[in-house]
Amino acid sequence: MTATHKILDVLRLAVRSLRAHLVRSILTSLGIIFGVCGVIAMLGITEGASYQSQLYLRELGSDKIIIRSVNPPEEDKASESRRGPNVYGLNADDVARLQSNIPDVVRCVTLHQSKKYLSFGTKRQTVSVFGTGPELGLVARIRMAAGRFLTVSDMVIEPVPKAACVMPASLARRVFGYLDPIGQTVLIGAEPFHVVGILAQVPQAVEAGMGGRDECVFVPDTVRKRRLGKFTLLRAKGGFQFERVDVSQIILQMKDEEAVSVGAGIARSLLSRTHDKADYLVKVPMELLAQKRKQTRLWAIVLLVIAGISLVVGGIGIMNIMLASVTERTREIGVRRALGAKQADIAVQFLVESVALTIVGGLLGIAVGLLGPWAVDRAGVLPFETIITPWAIVVPFLMAVAVGLVSGLYPALRAAKLDPIEALRHE
Amino acid sequence: MAELIRLENLWKIYPLGPGVTALQDISLQVEQGQYIAIMGPSGSGKSTMLNLLGCLDRPTRGQYWLCGQNVAGMSENELSDVRSRRIGFVFQSFNLIASSSIMENIEVPMFYRGIPRRRRHVRCRKLAEMVGLGDRLHHRPAELSGGQQQRVAIARALANEPTMIVADEPTGNLDSQTAAEILDLMDDLHRRGRSIVMVTHEADIGRRADRVVMLRDGRIASDTFNGDTHRGNP
Repeated sequence: MTATHKILDVLRLAVRSLRAHLVRSILTSLGIIFGVCGVIAMLGITEGASYQSQLYLRELGSDKIIIRSVNPPEEDKASESRRGPNVYGLNADDVARLQSNIPDVVRCVTLHQSKKYLSFGTKRQTVSVFGTGPELGLVARIRMAAGRFLTVSDMVIEPVPKAACVMPASLARRVFGYLDPIGQTVLIGAEPFHVVGILAQVPQAVEAGMGGRDECVFVPDTVRKRRLGKFTLLRAKGGFQFERVDVSQIILQMKDEEAVSVGAGIARSLLSRTHDKADYLVKVPMELLAQKRKQTRLWAIVLLVIAGISLVVGGIGIMNIMLASVTERTREIGVRRALGAKQADIAVQFLVESVALTIVGGLLGIAVGLLGPWAVDRAGVLPFETIITPWAIVVPFLMAVAVGLVSGLYPALRAAKLDPIEALRHE
Repeated sequence: MAELIRLENLWKIYPLGPGVTALQDISLQVEQGQYIAIMGPSGSGKSTMLNLLGCLDRPTRGQYWLCGQNVAGMSENELSDVRSRRIGFVFQSFNLIASSSIMENIEVPMFYRGIPRRRRHVRCRKLAEMVGLGDRLHHRPAELSGGQQQRVAIARALANEPTMIVADEPTGNLDSQTAAEILDLMDDLHRRGRSIVMVTHEADIGRRADRVVMLRDGRIASDTFNGDTHRGNP
């Protein structure tokens, strides 16, 4: 008789005795079901979240430092006169200082953002106009859907009152419908621009701010300065307000990751010296990535603890039921011993039963646990897709089996140690 | 005839308090094929004797030779093995496993003997037919009468072709007619050469055996042979 035969025999015996108490078996493995299913669902969600944020940060690029002008909080502005334009943020001097003081800058791009009307025929809508240069195409990951990005020749201010502009595909579709956007002329404010290129997507490195990244138009900054002016008219509380920001955003591309951390430090201290208001923000994707990793690790630890607790509770439940089963079947154990079962046979029988309980619980837990993330994806509750890695299934399952072994061990040994004569006398 | 059992100065003392002496200095020799009844009032040591003969327990002192093997000094594991190969138990309260079918009950001893499933099933069928329950293999014990249950237990006891059957008051829970049927079945087994050790307190059951050993206060009070066809040891 082969070992596989023996294993099959013992398994059959275990399944039969579990089936004899079907409801009890399912209730007992409930703890394991919840444990496994919880771990899988949570792992799926956190894995999805961390993948999403890593994707976002990789798109930004780990070799960049992004500095952005921000409207300072109210109390910082309180000392100033409320009349006149609201002037804040980065300026050309900052850019020059940063460039001359930070080592290993490969490229430096500035963007100026303002709100303007864009009109084409009878269509009119508010857009964010970004004044920038062709370097943006080198620094940010730009994918063109059609045409080309801004070039050096676009920067030259020609007497011809027609300048180049680039917009994302989503905006082009809204403005031009089924027309081919390349070569069309639109009005930004009152100035004519002709469309030279369509972006597949606005790159992550561009901070679109309010209005979203679907409503952006990129124009040469030189042309913007000459024709569109420095001020943006904003609708504010109880009226209108002019706002003036010289440089909305600076993107520094660094030589390597070491240069990024050095550069970020220098940029922070430089800017804090010249700005007494908190009207700028230094954003380092690499730092954010490290922070996210730390966060993910923390989550993993929390999950592990929760999973551990539920599996321990489940294990206690199984030990409890197995002990009850040993007591209940004392006489059966005595009979089996009298008929030739060795102590090891009895121990193995009970151990296999308890492991079978957790295997069933583990499998049900996997089924329910996979259903959770699937339902979440279907319902679209989360802003990202959940990701189930094979490990997220295998690890909780193996943990469940281990729980079965550990919590079944004591009852199994107790059953094996029973004196056959006593056991036969048991009522 | 070959020797089946030889007890030499066997003692069993339970280590409770001052020590309860259940069996004192028992010496007995049984030949193969014998049908022996152990009788005596309650407390005389019948059960202790049965547990020892059935290799469920070990003597405190003395030797127990079973088919030439000294069982007295064996380990727990070795005893299990001897029970599996040599002994078939029949109990007063049948002791069938309630949650299992008749087939599964009969195959239990073969299961622990390591006999493959297919061969177990073939043998189960044969045994069930032999005790007249060939059509009940897939019933539960509770669906059978007491007499039928005891037949299943006898079939189970025979599963591994044991050297001897150890029966503990096998008719104690049965009405007299069913009891007679079970005893007839035992007689039948005996006629086919099976050795039987049976504990009973009913004298007319004892009369069916070749030999009656009376116990009193842990000692052999008498050892009588029925008829003249069998010769025992003096």
